[in-house]
Amino acid sequence: MSFIPGQPVSTVVQRIEIHKLRDGDNVILGFSIGGGIDQDPSQNPFSEDKTDKGIYVTRVSKGGPAEVAGLRMGDRIMQVNGWDMTMVTHDQARKKLTKKNEDVVRLLVTRKTLEDAVRQSMMQH
Amino acid sequence: MRSILHVSLSKTFRPNPGNKLEFSLCFLFFFQDSDIQKKIDYEIRMREGACKLLAACSQRDQALEASKSLLTCNARIMAYMSELQRMKEAQVMQRVARRSSDAGPMDDRSPCKGKVAISDLRIPLMWKDTEYFKNKGELHRCAVFCLLQLGGEIFDTDMVMVDRTLTDICFDNTIVFNEAGPGFELRVELYSCCSEEDYSAGSTPRKLASKLSSSLGRSAGKKMRAALEPGACSPTSNGGGATILLPVPSAPGPKYHLLAHTTLNVSHVQDSFRTHDLTITGNEECSYWLPLYGGVCCRLAAQPHCMTEQMMSGCLRVKLGGEPQGWTNVYGVLKGTNLFCYHQKEDKEANVEPVLTIGINKETRIRAAEKDPHSKAQNICITNQYGGEEVTHTLAADSREERQRWMEAFWQQFYDMSQWRQCCDNLMKIELPSPRKPAIVTPKQGSLYHEMGECVQTPFYTFTEAVAEFEALDQGCPTLLLAIDCPANVSPCFRQAWSPDASSSSGRFRPRTLSLDAKLSTLRGRGYSGFRCNCQPPTASSVSPRPAQTALSCSSSTSSSSSSEGSNSQESDLGFSRPSGARRSLRNLRAKLDPRNWLQSQV
Repeated sequence: MSFIPGQPVSTVVQRIEIHKLRDGDNVILGFSIGGGIDQDPSQNPFSEDKTDKGIYVTRVSKGGPAEVAGLRMGDRIMQVNGWDMTMVTHDQARKKLTKKNEDVVRLLVTRKTLEDAVRQSMMQH
Repeated sequence: MRSILHVSLSKTFRPNPGNKLEFSLCFLFFFQDSDIQKKIDYEIRMREGACKLLAACSQRDQALEASKSLLTCNARIMAYMSELQRMKEAQVMQRVARRSSDAGPMDDRSPCKGKVAISDLRIPLMWKDTEYFKNKGELHRCAVFCLLQLGGEIFDTDMVMVDRTLTDICFDNTIVFNEAGPGFELRVELYSCCSEEDYSAGSTPRKLASKLSSSLGRSAGKKMRAALEPGACSPTSNGGGATILLPVPSAPGPKYHLLAHTTLNVSHVQDSFRTHDLTITGNEECSYWLPLYGGVCCRLAAQPHCMTEQMMSGCLRVKLGGEPQGWTNVYGVLKGTNLFCYHQKEDKEANVEPVLTIGINKETRIRAAEKDPHSKAQNICITNQYGGEEVTHTLAADSREERQRWMEAFWQQFYDMSQWRQCCDNLMKIELPSPRKPAIVTPKQGSLYHEMGECVQTPFYTFTEAVAEFEALDQGCPTLLLAIDCPANVSPCFRQAWSPDASSSSGRFRPRTLSLDAKLSTLRGRGYSGFRCNCQPPTASSVSPRPAQTALSCSSSTSSSSSSEGSNSQESDLGFSRPSGARRSLRNLRAKLDPRNWLQSQV
């Protein structure tokens, strides 16, 4: 997932639909994010390219809604409910994920294994 | 005959400190003070040794250290020579004065000397944030150290390598100057040397100078070059804005340049840390430049001798109780801001409590009472204000001479206090520099987040537990304590955190977010005691009793996540508690504004 700043990123994505879990007043998705254009990308342990300022999933709670939906640690989130996540600050990303009136978030995520899988399957043909 | 020689020399041939040749010639004649001369000889020998070492060593670190020693030796030599000169001048002046008039009353008091200690020097740096995050490219490193001079004593701190991962330059040394007068001037100079360049090549300004000199025409250019040469200014006068250093044109190896300096005096003395302004020399073009914030933070403490030593002692008689006839014999000791009256002299050594303690401070008034000629009493009245009330103690000395001695001592004490000012309010502690204790866990002088970087490849942990513990301590109950040792105990910690018997679920505390730097240092102090998980339900004062979880995400930085709780795996319910909105937002803000953090948020 290397990117050139200013150029559109094209990558293989997976659609993940997470249903938020409500617990009274608190609503959670069950994962944690890191990254953002205002963060230091060199400290991101998941990114291949250490200048990648995207939003990454740093942790997934076991058994939580995110894990159930198929989100994995190390995924990079490209879109949330249609909102772009490739060029956002950390806080903007968090806000898009934690909108109170939304019960479902539809993510487009990408990970290295996806690309590899697609490439493999393409090579086989 | 020698005195005539002195006088004539002083009239016709005044030594000019700027001219080294004249200077050193003078001292061939003035060979009097052998004490200082011995010191000069010693420093000269040290200097030769340092030069040899510098020429011989190949490693950069050694060369930097040797260069530093060389500069310190030079500075000391210059200081001793200046002191010698001052002493000679004073002697000559005295002799001339004595011959011209009779010795007038040597009435002027001299204040007592004292110890001055400076410690915990910290100079903040101000890197641009582009510098902070730049991970590529070579690291611009400088070797820095501080030179401290007070009177004739010069000390240097250890050398510290500084690059953009440091936010402050810290010097751990405690430097104690003995025999400082209250009018002392402590000059602090920060020297730095770029650690990358080829040593013989010379620094950029010199290249610039050579360009200028070639383009300006020979003589103008030569003058320009001399002016641009770092350290070429007249070196001797201390406090006159000149550096302490001698220019050393011929020594090979790395050269230090003066980066900043400041002068501290008795008005800067305080029992706690203070920040003082630094005057920065040099500019961004210099190779040895570092972006200094402009201040230096340190603890400057002073212990005048009048506070630490017994200034006067002797037998006295004091009126105790209300009775006019009740004179008690005591042994009085004047020390610091008190006159201690012991029952007998041996009590002082035996550390027995004094019978009476009379305060002697700025507010005290002491009067030698002229009693009626009937009694032979030589009385001294000491009046103090104790909480709005005036209390007068009357003491009697055995003889007039004795009383005069006591009055003299009191006057001297008052004079010392007026000179040393706030140093005499309370006795300041000065810790003598002790041999380095091996630290339990010493974070190397680098950045914490570089060390944390080792954790990167491994599954995560966070320090939320530490936060939780902190919180619980706040609420007065010891709960979950998670000390993380990375990367060695990586997997066991991970597993244990998820283990069902962690019983953290029963803990009902609110893991709040806090800045973790402080917590990290306490954890380090405890030496990574490994994983312990004994938690108890907190008090009912916690906000919302919810089954808490052990959070898990480790950050590769010391980040305090904005809302860093986790969820327990074995629990089916995934409730959690968030800290109250206002406090969380404040901490969030603080965490977010810290450029070193790589934030993680739970959603």
